Amino acid sequence: MKTKAEERTITKDGQLLLKKMEQDQVETVWDRLEAQSPQCGYCEMGLSCRVCAMGPCRIDPFGEGPQRGVCGADADIIVARNLGRMIAAGAAAHSDHGRDLVEVLAEVAAGKAPEYSITDEEKLRRIAREYGVETEGREVLEIAGELAAAMQEEFGTRKGFLTMANRAPAKRREIWQKVGIAPRGVDRETSEMMHRTHMGVDNGWQSLLLHGLRNALSDGWGGSMIATEVSDILFGTPAPTPNMVNIGVLKEDEVNIVVHGHNPVVSEMIMRACESAEMVELARKKGAKGINLTGLCCTGNELLMRHGIPMAGNHLMTELVIGTGAVEMMIVDYQCIMPSLGALAPCYHTRMISTSDKARFPGMEHREFHPDNAAELARTLVREAIENFDQRGETYIPVEAVPSVGGFSVEAIIGALGGTPQPLIDAITAGKIRGAVGVVGCNNPKIKHDYGHVTLTKRLIENDCLVVDTGCAAIANAKAGFKVAEAIKYAGPGLQEVCGALGIPPVLHMGSCVDNVRILVLAAALANALQVDISDLPLAGAAPEWYSEKAVSIGSYFVASGVYTVLGPMPPITGSMNVVNLLTSGLNDVIGASFAVEADPEKAAVLIRRHIEAKRKALGLSALDI
Amino acid sequence: MEYVIIGNGIAGTSAAEAIRRLDRQGAITMIADEDEIPYCRPMISNLLAGDIAAERLAIRPSSFYDDLNIKPVLGRRVQSIDPAAGKVRVGDSDLIVPFDRLLIASGADPRISEVPGSQLPGVFCLRNRSQALDIMAAAEHGRKAVVVGGGLVGLKAAHALQSRGLQVVMLIRSAHPLRLQVDASAGRMILAKLREHGLQVLVEAEVAAFEGSGKVLENIVLADGQKIPADLAVIAKGVAPAAGFAADGPIGLGPGGGIVVNNTLETTVPGIYAAGDVAETMDVARREKRVNAIWPEAVEQGIAAGFNMAGRRVAYRGSLSRNVMRIYGLDIMTAGVVEPPAADDSYEVVAVTDKHRDIYHKLVFRDDRLVGMMLINGIEQGGVLLSLIRREVAIVEKKERLLEPGFQVGKLMPQYFK
Amino acid sequence: MKQVQVHPERCLGCMQCMLACATAHSRTKSLFTAVGESPLPKPRLHVGAGSHDEGFPNRCRHCDPAPCLLACLPGAIFRDPDTGTVLVDPDLCINCASCAMACPFGVLRYHQDWVAPAAKIVAQKCDNCLERQHEGLIPACVEVCKTGALTFEESDEALRRKTREVARSVSMGMEEQPLIPTGVQLLRQAKKQRFEMRCR
Ligand SMILES: Cc1cc2nc3c(=O)[nH]c(=O)nc-3n(C[C@H](O)[C@H](O)[C@H](O)COP(=O)(O)OP(=O)(O)OC[C@H]3O[C@@H](n4cnc5c(N)ncnc54)[C@H](O)[C@@H]3O)c2cc1C
Ligand code: SF4
Ligand code: SF4
Repeated sequence: MKTKAEERTITKDGQLLLKKMEQDQVETVWDRLEAQSPQCGYCEMGLSCRVCAMGPCRIDPFGEGPQRGVCGADADIIVARNLGRMIAAGAAAHSDHGRDLVEVLAEVAAGKAPEYSITDEEKLRRIAREYGVETEGREVLEIAGELAAAMQEEFGTRKGFLTMANRAPAKRREIWQKVGIAPRGVDRETSEMMHRTHMGVDNGWQSLLLHGLRNALSDGWGGSMIATEVSDILFGTPAPTPNMVNIGVLKEDEVNIVVHGHNPVVSEMIMRACESAEMVELARKKGAKGINLTGLCCTGNELLMRHGIPMAGNHLMTELVIGTGAVEMMIVDYQCIMPSLGALAPCYHTRMISTSDKARFPGMEHREFHPDNAAELARTLVREAIENFDQRGETYIPVEAVPSVGGFSVEAIIGALGGTPQPLIDAITAGKIRGAVGVVGCNNPKIKHDYGHVTLTKRLIENDCLVVDTGCAAIANAKAGFKVAEAIKYAGPGLQEVCGALGIPPVLHMGSCVDNVRILVLAAALANALQVDISDLPLAGAAPEWYSEKAVSIGSYFVASGVYTVLGPMPPITGSMNVVNLLTSGLNDVIGASFAVEADPEKAAVLIRRHIEAKRKALGLSALDI
Repeated sequence: MEYVIIGNGIAGTSAAEAIRRLDRQGAITMIADEDEIPYCRPMISNLLAGDIAAERLAIRPSSFYDDLNIKPVLGRRVQSIDPAAGKVRVGDSDLIVPFDRLLIASGADPRISEVPGSQLPGVFCLRNRSQALDIMAAAEHGRKAVVVGGGLVGLKAAHALQSRGLQVVMLIRSAHPLRLQVDASAGRMILAKLREHGLQVLVEAEVAAFEGSGKVLENIVLADGQKIPADLAVIAKGVAPAAGFAADGPIGLGPGGGIVVNNTLETTVPGIYAAGDVAETMDVARREKRVNAIWPEAVEQGIAAGFNMAGRRVAYRGSLSRNVMRIYGLDIMTAGVVEPPAADDSYEVVAVTDKHRDIYHKLVFRDDRLVGMMLINGIEQGGVLLSLIRREVAIVEKKERLLEPGFQVGKLMPQYFK
Repeated sequence: MKQVQVHPERCLGCMQCMLACATAHSRTKSLFTAVGESPLPKPRLHVGAGSHDEGFPNRCRHCDPAPCLLACLPGAIFRDPDTGTVLVDPDLCINCASCAMACPFGVLRYHQDWVAPAAKIVAQKCDNCLERQHEGLIPACVEVCKTGALTFEESDEALRRKTREVARSVSMGMEEQPLIPTGVQLLRQAKKQRFEMRCR
């Protein structure tokens, strides 16, 4: 029989810390899920509507109770509206994150953010050219200013198209045009979704869903892509770097500072402050051997990708990390930060700091970061963290960290392939690599922690599918030891041969969750090289443990870009079989890809491999029967 | 048909009612020591505490005997039974009552103290209404009380006397109260709670004598010589089946001193039945004969005995020791085997504690059956667990699940409803 | 006689019935004001999680014979002869929890209530909304349950209806419809799978 901790997570560090938190009588996300059970079935099925004050309404799926809301909306409309609003929220989150980066870029150009700078000038010039900004013989900052302005244009309505959407293969863009879902502006589609789902606007469940895809595309080829590209410009384009992962990255004898959230704007400054000689000296004076900066979730991924900063854990580890008693300070920016954290920290000595003007948390100290004060505030916070070192009680860091390699931006992958995607295409054509799969997304306490990610990834690489991953999935796979060159031992013979020759792991860490766009760019590059559509390629996406609205948007832009995508947890759509059928099969005829839902990663692996082999067959490549 | 019932406690009362549901004609005679309308014995502690008025003890209307056409012979004790002749002798008088069917429902008597001075005025037991009234009278003038014994009745007596404003010292022989109901960890929790509520508890204390000058109790003397001043004392050292009148006849007694019955509540003598605190029945959790002297068993056994006596065969499934009390800010519910024999590895114990909710829950399994439970606080689902014990349901769930915070009967679908 | 019938397979776990029950047993009978009352009204039925976290509405079955009634020490639990409802007399209840130990469904709770003597904690359980029924209303939980997990009908009528549904689900032809709609099945499968995976 499995213990409760073993039922909740497959990770050793997670299990041990869960046991400790239980002893400490500290509540975690799993306990709260239990307390919430049973969760409302109407809401789980997408059948409850709170859109207007004639409601709230719900539809009886058994057919005897009400079949329409007060306004007259039926199950199809209500489910589609709810899903649409989830996509809008996810797209908004990513895109607003992107906007924040563009603002920093603009301020750097204007000389108002003295401590930030252009790190990847080559990329700045390349992207600027893509946006039609003149680069020849011009000052870096001048270009940066103009690029920032051009990008800001995309958030509005005047422009009417997204520049980087042109990276998609021509065939894909034609489909978008034909179906009428080519994204026209980043904020516009989100705003329009909120409008359409207002009572009395769009009551066609099909048109709502199609707009949902357009909204998601405005994230994938717009907001998120801007976020990734500008982050690279400001902080550097990732290149393969070794790092360490799991809770063992915390150090008994150093000041531990953990950054959590998504936006590198704050964490980059914290990192620099931690590295300053002055701070390190101060830490020594306080009896610590040094300052140990580690990351959680995607802000952690941003630092890991660019600087090899160690990674303490993913979403479901964020509470447990504090349970070690070894964290002097946790600094958060935004997204996926559980509001429970502030209440939990006083059980230990950890100081909790919120930094974003748009993200406050109960029980956290709010110290707001802006580009003009960032460096100074970062130093102040690091100093305070050091001063908190002697408040430490007993610590519990029960495991050794695991090595991994991160930093596989598209540029880095192409670099590893020798400057062109051709070797990868050749390996796929030869059947050594059957296809490539993006394993992405969050953790969700409804799925045993990391079980979905690790099991699916393992099955895929065993069967010669190259895995690229991001976000919490990427952290799960790193902890599982899939991200070192030796991990090719887990891979099938073909993948082993290819990765072995290139000296890369069989699972490539492509970044944070906004960085899912790197997967889009890679897919587009492969399709363009073969002069086919993305949907023709032996590719798939999977979000085995997703929970967030952002994940709904990501899944939707994957599918809308032609990538078959398998979700683990069931989205709230089963209240309308029309919606279910459209999303899981009907879309194939419309945009050449669809969703599938399969919680069991063993079965999801089969679905994905079957899909990949079918695509191979259609391309005239060798295909297996799965 | 002549029915005779000895005892007008809840077992005798329930039996009389059951007989009357099936047999309107037969003659029923109830012979009982207490000249009372059937009343609720456990509530005498509430009476003592001043929570309820004496009139509220009655649980049947004053017309009870008339309503059911029962011939009451009250205020008299049965002296002996002549099974062969089918006769009962009442008191030392010459009242002989013949029977075709006899129910022995004479309950239990409190164990009395043998130490010197136990007969002093001011030394009481708490078993019936008149004793409760006597204690109340004594408490009017007293300030200090001692309760000897830390079982259920002892705790209730102590609590009641405290509610009356007396200073109470409890003397218990073991290391913690409720030794028969709970394990040592729970015992410690309970002990701490009692002390928190101002009850002075002396553990591992042995009473050597009750001391008084003349006719009043003054001190309780302990074996170690310690003297505890007291105006009154309540002895609560448990009860023994009131089966003295059957001791040397053919009616079989068990090792616990109770009258042994089979699954129709019939004794070893055909036509003679027993029920309630006097009866020794098969305990479903322990799988051995045992006297389970508790109210709900007295009710069920009384009903089952009554039906069988009146001719409807109903099988009695066996008894189960169980108790619930809400006292001193604690909710305590226990049933069956709470401390399995350490050497026996067919038992498995699962327990949880939750300091936030002040909970300690423990379940005892034998093979895949639940055979015991002990719930300290958070007792709402106790009835569900208890019915698993009583019905000997095979547990297919992971055992820990029964102790999870969200546990309720829906988790047991569908086997529970089979 | 009409009784509240529970059909757990239809419960979606929305807990609307709990809100309605608490409101029906409040002094002011309106959700918005009831939440401001002291003592706070509490529901008499409880939606728990079933074995795979599906909803499970748990309410008093008004058993006959009723174990709680037999176990009640002061005789505070009695049966309303007209409706068969098992009721607690708050004046007589001594808060001993003997009923909780007896009830095989775990539906009894103990708290103050505006109809009980002030500040007295008493046993609380479903009263079949007799007060509402006198006013010609159906029990509050049934009124708000939109999925038909709680119905107010004769028990043989409930049985007949169930038989019809089963027959329809297996018979061929136009009227055929699954006993549990496909969407609900999908959701339940997903939940069940979660549990299976936990044990891997
Ligand atoms: C203070 C107190 C608190 C209690 N609290 C609880 C509780 O919370 N829960 C619980 O389950 N149980 C409790 N009990 C135990 C419960 O009261 C008994 O289990 C129950 O009353 C037994 O009923 P009975 O009919 O078998 O016996 P009794 O109630 O003892 O009735 C037997 C009757 O027979 C009479 N009798 C005895 N011998 C003779 C004779 N020779 N001739 C004529 N009459 C005779 C007795 O005087 C008595 O009136 C408590 C007991 C006490 C004293
Ligand atoms: S409270 Fe429990 S035992 Fe009593 S009638 Fe209701 S379900 Fe039955
Ligand atoms: S708590 Fe009240 S209703 Fe329940 S058994 Fe005790 S007295 Fe009766």
